[in-house]
Amino acid sequence: MSETNSEMLTALIRLRGALQEAELPLEMPGIEEQRTARREMIDQLEDYAIPRLMTIEAPLLAVVGGSTGAGKSTLVNSLVGSRVTVPGVLRPTTRSPVLVHHPSDVEWFGQDRLLPDLVRVLHPTNDPDALQLVATESVPAGLAILDAPDVDSVEERNRQLAAQLLAAADLWLFVTSAARYADQVPWGFLKQAAERSTAVAIVLDRTPEDAIETVSTHLARMLASRGLKDSPLFTVTEGKVDDQGLLPAHHVAEIRGWLESLADDVNARGAVVKQTLDGAIRTIARRTYGVADALAEQGDAATRLRADADRAYDDAIAAIVAASADGTLLRGEVLARWQEFVGTGELLKSLEDKVGWFRDRVVNAIKGKPQQAERVTVAVESGLETLILEHAEAAAERAEASWQQLAAGQGLLAMADQDLGRASRDLRRRAERAVRDWQQDVLEMVRTEGADKRTTARFLAFGVNGLSVALMIVVFAHTAGVTGAEAGIAGGSAVLGQKLLEAVFGDQAVRSLAERARRSLEQRITELFRAERDRYVVLVQSLGVKPGVPDQLRDATRRIDDLRYAESKRGAV
Amino acid sequence: MTSLLEGAKKLVTRGTDIGARITALEAAAHAARGRLDDALVDEAATASGRAAGRLRLSARHTVVGIAGATGSGKSSTFNALTGLELSAVGVRRPTTSWASACVWGTEGADELLEWLGIPPRHQTTRDSMLDTRREGNAMDGVVLLDLPDHDSTELSHHLEVDRLVQLVDMLVWVLDPQKYADAAIHDRYLKPLRTHAAVMVVVLNQIDTVPEDRRDSMVADVRRLLDQDGLQQVPIIPVSARHGIGMPELRAEITRRVADKQATRQRLEADLRGVAARMQEASGSGKTRELSDKRIADLEDSLADAAGVPTVVDAVERSTRLRAGRATGWPVVAWFSRLKPDPLKRLHLDLGDSAEQLSGRSRTSLPVTTPVQRARVDTEVRALADDASAGLGRPWVEAVRRASTSRLPDLNDRLDRAVGGTDLGVAKMPWWAGVVRAVQWVLIVAALLGAVWLAGLAVLGYLQVSEPSTPDVGPLALPTLLLVGGILLGVLLALVCRWLVAATARRRAHAADQRLRAAVHEVADELVVRPVATELAAYAETRTQLATALK
Repeated sequence: MSETNSEMLTALIRLRGALQEAELPLEMPGIEEQRTARREMIDQLEDYAIPRLMTIEAPLLAVVGGSTGAGKSTLVNSLVGSRVTVPGVLRPTTRSPVLVHHPSDVEWFGQDRLLPDLVRVLHPTNDPDALQLVATESVPAGLAILDAPDVDSVEERNRQLAAQLLAAADLWLFVTSAARYADQVPWGFLKQAAERSTAVAIVLDRTPEDAIETVSTHLARMLASRGLKDSPLFTVTEGKVDDQGLLPAHHVAEIRGWLESLADDVNARGAVVKQTLDGAIRTIARRTYGVADALAEQGDAATRLRADADRAYDDAIAAIVAASADGTLLRGEVLARWQEFVGTGELLKSLEDKVGWFRDRVVNAIKGKPQQAERVTVAVESGLETLILEHAEAAAERAEASWQQLAAGQGLLAMADQDLGRASRDLRRRAERAVRDWQQDVLEMVRTEGADKRTTARFLAFGVNGLSVALMIVVFAHTAGVTGAEAGIAGGSAVLGQKLLEAVFGDQAVRSLAERARRSLEQRITELFRAERDRYVVLVQSLGVKPGVPDQLRDATRRIDDLRYAESKRGAV
Repeated sequence: MTSLLEGAKKLVTRGTDIGARITALEAAAHAARGRLDDALVDEAATASGRAAGRLRLSARHTVVGIAGATGSGKSSTFNALTGLELSAVGVRRPTTSWASACVWGTEGADELLEWLGIPPRHQTTRDSMLDTRREGNAMDGVVLLDLPDHDSTELSHHLEVDRLVQLVDMLVWVLDPQKYADAAIHDRYLKPLRTHAAVMVVVLNQIDTVPEDRRDSMVADVRRLLDQDGLQQVPIIPVSARHGIGMPELRAEITRRVADKQATRQRLEADLRGVAARMQEASGSGKTRELSDKRIADLEDSLADAAGVPTVVDAVERSTRLRAGRATGWPVVAWFSRLKPDPLKRLHLDLGDSAEQLSGRSRTSLPVTTPVQRARVDTEVRALADDASAGLGRPWVEAVRRASTSRLPDLNDRLDRAVGGTDLGVAKMPWWAGVVRAVQWVLIVAALLGAVWLAGLAVLGYLQVSEPSTPDVGPLALPTLLLVGGILLGVLLALVCRWLVAATARRRAHAADQRLRAAVHEVADELVVRPVATELAAYAETRTQLATALK
């Protein structure tokens, strides 16, 4: 093996590795095409380019391909001169490929060589994953003929296998018939062959004697107009088959002669192999860029989806944090309970109100203030909870809407096992839990802070519960002074709370307490929302789009291009 | 002419409800537009339009299309059926580039051919009157179309086939021993057309090229493939157009179906059914939903809350108490209440008529909706949408959600206007307030009179002037009675009125609450309930109409 070859081999193996990493899991416009391209390229590298480059002196592999019913199997049998593959009237006939070779060439077709994923068998089979090997003296050494399934029948597996086999061929013997030569599907394959500069020979099979002239002229013109004018064109007239299913020998003598001369001439054989192999590598290199671009796009899309989900939830967290600090939470229920608790009201309360107030005082004197502190706590809880739940719903809705705009996002949403456009079912429970935990935190802070002030009169008067409620109120009005609108009402009550706390703990301690309580709330909300966001993030992460792979692909391809360029220069000199 | 067409239409639709199906599918497409996938809705609209178009045309004719791969012998079959060498037959592929038609019995066929888009130069007529063959009569009313191939390299042929396959009443698919298993025909035509099995015939042409002992197994193989496509009912007729094998059977099959006059209807029905079934699948067949009153009530509660209705109602009560209390209180201390601001004035809700004229309808100064209140509203709207769309197909769930939130941005403004525009009924004083006020003043005057009288008596006594006799009422002297009674009665009346005022204030607060909630109800109805109800109505309509179309 020459040095250039081994370098090329290394580059190809590296490319194959990169391609295998390059999964394209996200749905995007035109992605199916790139997925097929990737699969075909991996197959062709494994089935053909890499093994062929490793054993450049192996026999020439001629794959007989074409439409169902065009007479591939009959042609192979007639070329070989014995019945090695089963022709039939029922379509599609051949399901499992048959490889006919000279007995001395057997070493070249072991399991680890060409088409490694097809199991070698030595008897006729219908298993499309098996490759039947037939050794016979009637094919010349240095040439092997492979009977492939059809390219256009209803059996999808046949079509795939045929495409795979044709991609692994050094030479195509493309069989068509008088009824079929203008069909669209085979021409699609021939177009590929022309693009790839694969060596192709066309066999016009099953042609009535009187139509040969017209059809072969028309076919030759079609070939020329599609860039295959150098391909040899053989015609085989429709003849009676004998009981072995063979055509009379003189019908196929022309093709047989051509194949034998090709097998004998080492140089010509080498040229055919080189042309096809070079074309295959060139095409793979060219197509890699498309896959690399698609993969890079997938990476971008994944990043964007992730960012969309992040933004939706970050906005929600920011909104809750803002709403829980600007005093708006202090309105309504919370404010009423708080005022009840600290005993302020409007100056001129009506008599009934005074009676109520007096009654409360009496009740408090008996039951103690904590009962009212409890009410403030409950009001705070329900206010915060409503806020959290609603923002979680809105965030889920926003995230889903932005995912729905991308085809990739739609695909992922369809994959999810729950309706991501709504907050998760147990959120209410978890939100309640988080708010209560935070209140517990606040209580704990006050208790620790007040450990040495237990005996002061004010501490005794309000108790740990009362002071922690005051602390919550202070937290909720944290930025109220700035926003203004709420300052009048909420600020006022907060000032009261602040005064109360300062009187017990001193102003420095109150400031740090409030800050700690606020941060604790923020942290709990962030945690709560992280779980919500993870429903989206997990989906993106499960795709496993790897960021470095497009560059690996491009690097490998560039290396291949460089080697090809160097070789073509050497060839020119 | 119209009556003739109407008659023809009746003939085709006689004993059937195809007309109703068409209307129903059209209505379903109309109701589902913007909710279901546009492509599907367009397809439904096209299908119903096409069916209506075909029904308007000759019902006497049945359009039979001969389709197949290149080289399968479509033209040979066509020629064999017509008995004329009309279509070019050749070995060069593809041979036929355009559709040509042969018509048996011309009356009314011109419009039909025009509708099919077959130009006159590709039309031939076999008028049964002049036709000497016996079977000519049987073929009367057949429009036989020779279609181009669907699998050659000429893409224009595929497009022509695709177009005509949509229009013909009956399809004859020509297969041949080489190509009968091609993916091109099975995957692109036969499988998607499995709903049209009733109007299809499959012909296995060139049967002469197959050894006789193999023919049965080949027909069985074709049967196997057709069964895989879901076309169990479609008959397979092995023929050889070139050698005339099987042609009588094929002709008999065609004439039998044409004589039925059912092919047109069956084809159209299959079209309508096919698209209607797909619409139903997309739309889901869950029961139609009604909005539950409880959900609406919950939503209105949360809206009322967000609109500050409790604040306003509270202000109404306190304001009434303040004003009526001032009017009916004991005048000596009642003026004191003027120092208190009127709660309604503070909310800018009681500017009076002139102020409203000056400032237009200004915004109220109700407290801004808090995030918590707003969150409650959004939660209720979501709950309502979820409740309304439970069990519906995915596109409808989304449509309901979209509708429920589509007008929410207007919410704050609309609520504010609704509250601001509601008559709170606090402008007028209660009728008895004036009487009480008068009585209070009378009592004050009486007390003053008594006081002045007593003071006069006291001065006279001080000056040792003999007092004029004062009349006695019971044990008390009149001036004393006036003074004490005036004061006591005034205070007593004020106390009694306080109780009355409280009751009035409560009643007025309740009335204001009712009115405000009615206004909020209007807003909820307009911004949320009605858009959602529209979607639900569209769903109900789509569901009913699809059921009719599929019946």
